[in-house]
Amino acid sequence: MNEVMTEKAAQNFIDAYESARTVLPGADGWLARRRAAAIEAFAGAGLPHRRLEEWKYTDLRQTLDKAGFAPAPEHKGAVVLPETASASAFSALDRHVLVFVNGRYRADLSKAARLPKGVELRGLADVLTEQWAKDLLERRFDEARQAEQVVDLNTALMSDGMCLRIRKGVKLDKPVHLLFFAADDGASHTRNLVLLEEGAEGTILESHVGEAASFADIVTDVVLGNGARLDHVKLQDESANAVHLATLRGEVGAEARLSSFTLTLGCGVSRGQSFIRFAGEGAEAQVNGAYALRATQHADQFCVVDHAVPRCASNTVFKGVLDGQSEGVFQGKVIVRPDAQKTDGRQMTQALLLSRDAAMNAKPELEIYADDVQCAHGSTVGELSKDALFYLRSRGIPEAEARRLLVLAFLDDVIALAPHEEAREILRGLVSGWFEEASI
Amino acid sequence: MLEIRNLHVTVDGKEILKGIDLDVAAGEVHAIMGPNGSGKSTLSYVLAGREGYEVTEGSILFNGQDLREMGVDERAAAGIFLAFQYPLEIPGVTTMTFLKTALNAQRKARGEEELDAVRFLKLVREKAKPLNVNDEMLKRALNVGYSGGEKKRAEVLQMSLLEPSLAVLDETDSGLDIDALKTVAEGVNAMRSPERSMIVITHYQRLLDYIVPDVVHVLSGGRIVKTGGKELALELEKSGYAAYGADAA
Repeated sequence: MNEVMTEKAAQNFIDAYESARTVLPGADGWLARRRAAAIEAFAGAGLPHRRLEEWKYTDLRQTLDKAGFAPAPEHKGAVVLPETASASAFSALDRHVLVFVNGRYRADLSKAARLPKGVELRGLADVLTEQWAKDLLERRFDEARQAEQVVDLNTALMSDGMCLRIRKGVKLDKPVHLLFFAADDGASHTRNLVLLEEGAEGTILESHVGEAASFADIVTDVVLGNGARLDHVKLQDESANAVHLATLRGEVGAEARLSSFTLTLGCGVSRGQSFIRFAGEGAEAQVNGAYALRATQHADQFCVVDHAVPRCASNTVFKGVLDGQSEGVFQGKVIVRPDAQKTDGRQMTQALLLSRDAAMNAKPELEIYADDVQCAHGSTVGELSKDALFYLRSRGIPEAEARRLLVLAFLDDVIALAPHEEAREILRGLVSGWFEEASI
Repeated sequence: MLEIRNLHVTVDGKEILKGIDLDVAAGEVHAIMGPNGSGKSTLSYVLAGREGYEVTEGSILFNGQDLREMGVDERAAAGIFLAFQYPLEIPGVTTMTFLKTALNAQRKARGEEELDAVRFLKLVREKAKPLNVNDEMLKRALNVGYSGGEKKRAEVLQMSLLEPSLAVLDETDSGLDIDALKTVAEGVNAMRSPERSMIVITHYQRLLDYIVPDVVHVLSGGRIVKTGGKELALELEKSGYAAYGADAA
């Protein structure tokens, strides 16, 4: 037995695979072989730890070893969502809604009727026999293989997920809202597949809520055909005992546009990682986010944009506020391949520390092999301006309100990058509400 | 209205004000003139309650209340307003939001009803018009990208809206051309009333041509070294501050 195999959490996942492999979706076909290969690779590599550069600030191995998550049970009965603004976020919007409880799709709680012709929206098990799903699951999204360990884990254990396919030229009539609710303690593994064919358009809203000690492992694979457009807004707000690991892998075709925004109100430890690759010229990717953390929350944002072809534009902005003893991480990389002339790649991270005990680690990187490009990156960490606070208070605005105004102002320009107008307003409200609970 | 007795103030361990006595009665406009470094701005910050300005001796009473016991926003709600020499830029907060938040916070602190959006908008437009502040300016982030003149007009708009009983104008003339100065001065003069006092802090006599004071004080080396009528300002314009123990003119 090698050293990695002795790791408790990794062994738990391997055991979980052994006991579930005959009942996991796709157990009788090509996927069973794919899962077996994935768990073998995972067993060899183990869970990511701090000695890996891309995991330098978040020790997933230690976190999961300590937490010791068993597989989350299947939840069949009625569910009661927490009475929080996050749990009811997006609910006022006209949308198709898919509800996942403990990582499993609950058709009885979902509402996705009367989809436009050319739009397919189904659970993972339903699509495994179809070629497009197989193509997505076998696609190599990230050349650098930086997500490999966690994607292998997900591939081996994925039990459900949302699969959205929009046919050529079809526009989704209203957003698809994925509501992930952790009702019980334990680990769940979700795989979402999104295929937008040439010229197709759609919006996905995603919320992750719950008060359980849960481990959510989500991988979302997105392929955008030429000229397609996907807007994606994600909200994550889970319990202090929860661990959240989300991986977005995207391939963006010529003249296509991916716009993704994440609001992280966090949980115990969260990591959101995005791997975007341009597959055709003239494409654009926006991968942005805001976070607000308190107590001992830890949130890690990791983003790689691979300019593999010329004339693409990418923009990544993450801004956050950190209170208490919370810790934020941003690691990002823009890769510009030798042929990717006329690339426009931008990356910015800014954090505001509201407490002396909060900490921020930021490492934006550019890796440029082409010469005719425009690239920029930057990082700032600061405190609320005492002068600005004094100015606001000198007009009669109480200190707590002055702080709230300044923090909302700090986050406002990044929230403005969220793609869906109504969702954007909802996010603004959530951040404002976060503040009212804040102890500062 | 305002009674300052033997006020000593230390900033970063250094004594800046060394025993100020000043009485400002309701309805009076006092000018405080003096060379750079004489303590003019320190006096204005102490009145507003800025952190780091430590009163080591003496007292400040505002309408009988001990100011030292009051926080910055409490002083504002009680009726003290400081027009900043360098108004801060606040990205992400529109001037409109800022004005509404400030006015309603003060009203709330005084136990008055808060204004709804409609009544507020009507009021702010009425106050903004004579100061040439248009809706477009109100929708912009507070002071961000404002010219020097726009910043000072925005300060006077805040004052006009908040209707303080004691307004302290710190070098409001700095950075203004003559037309902007006139607009600002008219705005200030429109607010003169028997219930409202003003302290106009300035290095130059020019502003006092437009905002004519009742009393002029000369501050030098952290003390008030001379007090007189408005003619004192004209004297200073001719003789400079050299006679008061300062090199700077």
